[in-house]
Amino acid sequence: MRFRRKSDKTAIPRNAASKRILENFIPPEGVPIGFELASLGARFGAVILDLILTWLFILLLILAVAWLGLLPKTALFALVAILAFFVGVPYYVVSELIWNGRTLGKRIVGIKVISADSRALGAHQVVARNLLKDIEFFAPLGMALQWNYTSTAQSWIAAAILLVWTLFVAIYPIRNKRKQRLGDVVAGTLVIVKPKAILLDDLALTEAQGGFSFDQAQLDIYGSYELQTLEAILRDPSKNPLHAAELAKVAKAIARRINYSEHAIGADPRPFLMAFYRDQRERLESRLLFGERRQDKFHGDAAKPK
Amino acid sequence: MNDQVSPSRIEAELLRSARFRKLREPGWRRLEVLVKQAETHGTAGLNYTEAKELAAQYRQAMTSLALARDISLDLALLNYLDQLCARAWLVVYVPQRSLSGAFGRLLRQGIPQAVRRSLLPLLIGFSAMLLGAITGFVLFFRDRSWFYTFVPGGLSDGRAPGASVGYLRDTLYGDASLHSSDVLTAFAAYLFSHNTNIAIFIFGLGIFWALPSFVLTFYNGLMLGAFFALFVQAGLGYDAFAWLSIHGVTEISAICIACAGGARLGLAGLMPGQMSRKDSLRLHGRDAVKLFLLAGLMLLVAGVVEGVLRQTVTSPELRLLIGWGLGGFWLLWLWRSGRTGGAKV
Repeated sequence: MRFRRKSDKTAIPRNAASKRILENFIPPEGVPIGFELASLGARFGAVILDLILTWLFILLLILAVAWLGLLPKTALFALVAILAFFVGVPYYVVSELIWNGRTLGKRIVGIKVISADSRALGAHQVVARNLLKDIEFFAPLGMALQWNYTSTAQSWIAAAILLVWTLFVAIYPIRNKRKQRLGDVVAGTLVIVKPKAILLDDLALTEAQGGFSFDQAQLDIYGSYELQTLEAILRDPSKNPLHAAELAKVAKAIARRINYSEHAIGADPRPFLMAFYRDQRERLESRLLFGERRQDKFHGDAAKPK
Repeated sequence: MNDQVSPSRIEAELLRSARFRKLREPGWRRLEVLVKQAETHGTAGLNYTEAKELAAQYRQAMTSLALARDISLDLALLNYLDQLCARAWLVVYVPQRSLSGAFGRLLRQGIPQAVRRSLLPLLIGFSAMLLGAITGFVLFFRDRSWFYTFVPGGLSDGRAPGASVGYLRDTLYGDASLHSSDVLTAFAAYLFSHNTNIAIFIFGLGIFWALPSFVLTFYNGLMLGAFFALFVQAGLGYDAFAWLSIHGVTEISAICIACAGGARLGLAGLMPGQMSRKDSLRLHGRDAVKLFLLAGLMLLVAGVVEGVLRQTVTSPELRLLIGWGLGGFWLLWLWRSGRTGGAKV
């Protein structure tokens, strides 16, 4: 398996829904699959959740120990220090090892660490990415929180260094194509959204009502981008009355574009749009069988609008 | 939504892509069930036929995906197959890796081999500490006030220029109050977590072209040198050396090794050679992590020694013996372990 640059366009057909798709992730079967990269927001949220959960755990444990009087006071401070250490790097390493790339926070958010070389996630990868998490996230955070905000020259220099450092580690994953932070680069890992497979109904199965029919010239105008946009509009689950008005607008626009009588649409635009969707898809798919992929309305055979 | 339509009419009117979908959907649904099962109980939870079925259905789904991309424009179908295949791929090709035996392998081969491959970074790490220590030592004898620059107030604990020889001797041999075993254990654990945090810091900062690791280790060396010089001046050089040795041989080496791990990362980014920076970082990251794990292990041992033995063993000779004996043990292990047959020359 390998990643290639964007050069070959045939791999995954771009469609309206794909935004943050990992390009050309090719399993041994040779069929590229499109993983969705986790957004930095989701990852940040997962870390915050982890922080809250772990410190809540420490707090409850300390309260319980103190309440039961199990340890003398001096040992209690040592216990806090030790626990604080263990919910740092060790917690992330152990949880990602146990749950195969997911901490508690990642489980809640629904994201997952995978190895970029498409093999099983190795222990050294988990250790590497979490050791650097300390430098990229916890250390700047801790320093900013404990900063001694006095304005001596020394502290200004230190503050400038901290600022540059924080900016560097913050900008790096934003600029990175695969949203890898430094730790991910060293470890060779990616964070993806855990795929959820939901099969929606096939719109082309609904019975054509109202006897709409389209001739070939009318079906040669749009491409698959428009078709799939129409599909998304028809699936829109919003029940608001505005949606019906939108549908009517879309139907009118299509009718105008393909020279279809606007009066023939009728009061409810849905049957017209369904019929058009079905016929348009049939037409485009038959062209596809002959090796012609019409990406959008700017394809070669498109009739020019008058 | 399609129960209002008579089936026979559908068959006749069905688009090619819709027929394709109708025909294969049961297989995909079965795969969904299998994947779900494997996700919750692990692939080990599947029995023989189920595992076989999972592999077969996964390949079929992959074929379906390839086909669908060529014949269908149904976005719902394409997205579903994409996601289903991705999920199944995670189950089939990215299983939970077994960790049994990994630790033993790491100790027998992984770490010693990584250390032997990292001589230049190790040189950087140890020389940073050594240069720091020498500088701190020399500067202290030039002008004692350097001590206050190097050693933060909280750490010195009254051990500063001008403290009486008696007090300094007490810090090396005294502190009977700490002798209950509970407190010693807590102290050891505290030392371990504190030192490991420093080591993580030194290691991770190495990614910034190794410079911060070097500076931090050098600074640790400065403190060490100034401290030692303080005791030498009070005529307690031998005792302080013994006091430092019992845990320091291990602990200070661990810090140097963490620095070496950081240097390994930094050098990988700085001088990637023929590789891209990313590839170089990933390649050298493996050894760097092993160096760090070694540092963590040594800090664990040092924490126990420092927390327990240093308080209970008070003879300088015995302290020297334990400290340097331990050092010799590390050296022997790292030098000899994990050599394969062909390595002998």
